[in-house]
Amino acid sequence: MDLSGRFGARSGNGVPFREVTGLESLHLGGGDEFRQMVLPENGGGFTALLELPPTRAVELLHSSSSSSSQATLHSVGTLTFPSNPILMERAARFSVIATEQNPNGNISGETTTSSVPSNEHIKTEPAETETSDQAAVEKQNNRCGKRKDFDKKVKSSTKKKSKSSEENEKLPYVHVRARRGQATDSHSLAERARREKINARMKLLQELVPGCDKIQGTALVLDEIINHVQSLQRQVEMLSMRLASVNPRIDFNLDTILASENGSLMDGSFNGTTMQLAWPHQVMETEQSYHHRQLQQPPPQQWPFDGLNQPVWGREENQDHGNDHNSLMVGSASLHPNQVKMEL
Amino acid sequence: MASADKPINTDVPEKDVFALHFLQSLSNLRRQNTFNSPEKTNDRVKKIKKAAYVSMARAAGGTSRLWSRALLRRAAKETNKVVRFSRRKKRVTWLRRRSNRRDPVEEEEKEAERLRNLVPGGGAMETSKLIEETAYYIKCLSMQVKVMQCLVDGLSPK
Repeated sequence: MDLSGRFGARSGNGVPFREVTGLESLHLGGGDEFRQMVLPENGGGFTALLELPPTRAVELLHSSSSSSSQATLHSVGTLTFPSNPILMERAARFSVIATEQNPNGNISGETTTSSVPSNEHIKTEPAETETSDQAAVEKQNNRCGKRKDFDKKVKSSTKKKSKSSEENEKLPYVHVRARRGQATDSHSLAERARREKINARMKLLQELVPGCDKIQGTALVLDEIINHVQSLQRQVEMLSMRLASVNPRIDFNLDTILASENGSLMDGSFNGTTMQLAWPHQVMETEQSYHHRQLQQPPPQQWPFDGLNQPVWGREENQDHGNDHNSLMVGSASLHPNQVKMEL
Repeated sequence: MASADKPINTDVPEKDVFALHFLQSLSNLRRQNTFNSPEKTNDRVKKIKKAAYVSMARAAGGTSRLWSRALLRRAAKETNKVVRFSRRKKRVTWLRRRSNRRDPVEEEEKEAERLRNLVPGGGAMETSKLIEETAYYIKCLSMQVKVMQCLVDGLSPK
């Protein structure tokens, strides 16, 4: 699908942004700046450019660089480009690239090595962008397209390529960009796609594990993650040991424990270390909301913990498994006021 | 090569779910007659630990996650030996040869190996999936730790 075909298809629907995205897919040289430049303040004028065959468009861009004036562009239509010399220069570079078309007929060129800084770039250039332009850029990024984009590092102005990771994740197909100097056979592309996936997930992990944001390099981050997992597993083991030692001394009632858990959990600011301090406070709060139906007992202060024996336990267990727990979980904090006082 | 990158979902169920499962398993343990004997503490510890992991696996979504499946399978076999399923996608080793950047890839593979040993069921996963599962595993583990912590605090004498 060549350029003109795409433009033709796009210009049919009369929505300026869609047409813009047609040209956007070029990933014009200069990256975002040029992108901003191309996005017309006047949408109608853009259609004129779109209907041109690609070579003519390239010529235009050529001439825009050489003349460094908007006159020739204006001759095409009522196109207005910002008279930024940088953009003109990049347009020139792009024209070199644009003549190289891959077999699909798709042309794209991008200076940025990854679209993440390019997106940031977009945001940091308010002078050259309108908010609508930004929206269009984002739209373009999000647009579905069945194409393989090869980004080329315009700076070198040869057939160098650059990598863009963010675009991959927004489009349904993995658009892999070949690295500079590397082959573009499917194997290395697959490898690159895989590495990008891995890096994306590593970012996730980095947010999870405290203190990983500052570390650079995947190996160290992985080290940190491994340490974290190990420490968590050791904690589980430690706590299970403590539970085992604590367990036989108390005949705890499943319901009360569940209720107490529920109460403290509902509080939201649940923190293991502040648990002991917070609990009496919660006891006071939830005394009114206590509605547990199984425990029809005398005033809570006299709740005898030692009095709970196995039969009670067994009975309540049988009845509770299933429905009651759900009601406990769902409802308001049914905290038994005194069960917290585990004085034995 | 056209594979969509769906948004990675690492939502973990609420604490109550974990608490519920853990307490259920504990109560089941209590019903065992041999459980409360003061001797054989180590056995009890092991049982509690196993119960903790199993309940965590169930709370985290049963068999919807690779690691939880592996955990449950391990528990069902009732062996202490860790069953590792060391089939990995060919691509992983193949890529090591082809990649230009040798050191980072190798380093990463070593780390990935260690991670595989830690996360249950890790031997069967490719690296990217492994990382995703690790993230979920970490979340569930920390949730479980919190539950157990407050249980212990609640039960320990003041």
